[in-house]
Amino acid sequence: MRAVARIVDALDRLGRYVSRGVSEFGFAAALVGESLFWLVMGRARRQPVRLSAIFAQAMDIGIAAVPIITMLAATIGMMLAIQGIYTLRTFGAESRVTLGIALSTVREFSPLITGILVAGRSGSALAARLGTMRINQEIDSLTVMGISPVRFLVVPALVAMVVMLPLLTLWADLVALVAAGLYVSAELQTSLAAYVDEVITLLKLNDLLHGLAKSCIFAVLVTVVGVINGASVTGGAEGVGRMTTRSVVHAISAIVITDMVFAFMVTR
Amino acid sequence: MNMQTREVNGTVVVELQGEVDLGHSPRLRKLLMELMLERRDVLVDMSRVAYIDSSGIASLVEAYQMSRKNANRLTLVAVSSPAMRVLQLARLDKVFAIADSVDAALGG
Amino acid sequence: MTSPAIEVRNLVTHYGSRQILRNVSLDVNEGEILVIMGGSGSGKTTLLNHLLGLLTPTSGTVRVLGKDINAIDPLELQELRTRIGVAFQGGALFSSMTVGENIALPLREHTKLDVTTIGIVTRLKLEVVSLAGFEDLMPSELSGGMIKRAALARAIVMDPRLLFCDEPSAGLDPVVAASIDDLILRLRDAMGMSIVVVTHDLESAFKIADRICMLDKGEVLALDTVDAIRTSPNERIQNLLNRRTEEAEIDPDAYLKRLLGEKKKDRI
Repeated sequence: MRAVARIVDALDRLGRYVSRGVSEFGFAAALVGESLFWLVMGRARRQPVRLSAIFAQAMDIGIAAVPIITMLAATIGMMLAIQGIYTLRTFGAESRVTLGIALSTVREFSPLITGILVAGRSGSALAARLGTMRINQEIDSLTVMGISPVRFLVVPALVAMVVMLPLLTLWADLVALVAAGLYVSAELQTSLAAYVDEVITLLKLNDLLHGLAKSCIFAVLVTVVGVINGASVTGGAEGVGRMTTRSVVHAISAIVITDMVFAFMVTR
Repeated sequence: MNMQTREVNGTVVVELQGEVDLGHSPRLRKLLMELMLERRDVLVDMSRVAYIDSSGIASLVEAYQMSRKNANRLTLVAVSSPAMRVLQLARLDKVFAIADSVDAALGG
Repeated sequence: MTSPAIEVRNLVTHYGSRQILRNVSLDVNEGEILVIMGGSGSGKTTLLNHLLGLLTPTSGTVRVLGKDINAIDPLELQELRTRIGVAFQGGALFSSMTVGENIALPLREHTKLDVTTIGIVTRLKLEVVSLAGFEDLMPSELSGGMIKRAALARAIVMDPRLLFCDEPSAGLDPVVAASIDDLILRLRDAMGMSIVVVTHDLESAFKIADRICMLDKGEVLALDTVDAIRTSPNERIQNLLNRRTEEAEIDPDAYLKRLLGEKKKDRI
């Protein structure tokens, strides 16, 4: 009897978990749909998406993140150069290291590290801000004023994210490649100019686009996960903390999984 | 809202009628500001104002401040009771120059 | 008398599977101050949220300023909401904006008024609620009473036909609470707006109400003038007025089950 009850209980919990997951997916799809609606139809509905709001978000998400992105990208570039040379030395092929660095940076590491960083910085901030606004009835307050919270709060963040994340990724590409180049040219006693030339001939536009396309997807993921978690906050300040953490974990998981799926689908 | 202007001895009398609300107050503001820029003395006849909202009051406030700066005259005349209640709510009845009738305002 | 500002008919609502409001019907007349009273758990907050169109009822209709708030199209609803002001319990001021920006927001979003006019209207409303000179402060720098007054200023910035106040005097000292009651009375007298106040403060209710709606356990216990409520022979009303707790009937079976923790599994 007890065992059966326990199994039923477990199934019950599993069902709830699944249904919550499915409903969150539905929520996410609806949210993206509604955001696009306001972006396109806002003016006709006398609720245009304000450029100033997008700009403010872009500053926060993009410009303020430049120093830390620069540092991390430089570190990753160096790390790739060090590991790359170490690995290739076993075959005596360390001069071929540039190919590995260039491709893995542009296609993989830059978008990934930028996405994860922005998820931690801005995705969580978005979740915390919306969560706090929700428990303070600020969201209700917008609604009863006849101001769509999606139009007013979500769309500016989404647009800013979709614009800034690829730009940050591009910057991270540049920084990481230069940092790697500095190490490579010092270690292998070649000139930085030769390294740059090599990178330019090796890299195809396709590789760059591969990375940027992913960063666009990450931008949507980070925003949507942040908004969903923020919007489902219940239970006061503690709830805000819980959902903020959840948003970071979910956003990073979503980024890593999507990255793999994207690479699998596009690269083969 | 209906707005009519006439001139009496060099003073412009603006007669407001009906509801001065969000949709109409910009027109009132534009007219008053033009008159103020021309440095005219203005009486605003408010005896037939059925309703005036905050944006209408704000237009009057802005024009009144400008009239004082230019040392012109802007007087509210025969303020209807709905309009008066709104003025009183913000204690503006103690700020504006208010007269009982156009004649009284012109005579005084 | 013209058509009522609010018309609620047979409103039935649920939270999950729990019934919150049982067949609530009430009218708010044009230019009237109706106070909705009831202890916690009486459903008064739920009723308010339905009047604001924030929740969808199980059955029944809510007509606000002549429009069925659950059936009109979004543009009409948006237009309707510009004629309604709401002062939430906690103020719900946007913490990222100054007091002045908070109050000006509905004007900025919904009108094409000149910035000078918006500025004057904003400061005018601050004057009305006796907060002159506070426009550049952030909400976090205000005291509880000031936040409530600022919220009231924002609620009336569009000169609404209908004003909702949720617990306008809760948590304030008696002097400040009385000043807010006076303010509500002055607003009605000057602007002729219909006002719905939700409160559990008896003294304040008796002072400002034209009529009082008493909610108890999701039902309208009484809906009458202040005097009629005060002299009502109904025992439950008198209990609520005199703050006597009611001796609930004990069902031994259910009581024992509760104590033993044998919950019914009726969660969805």
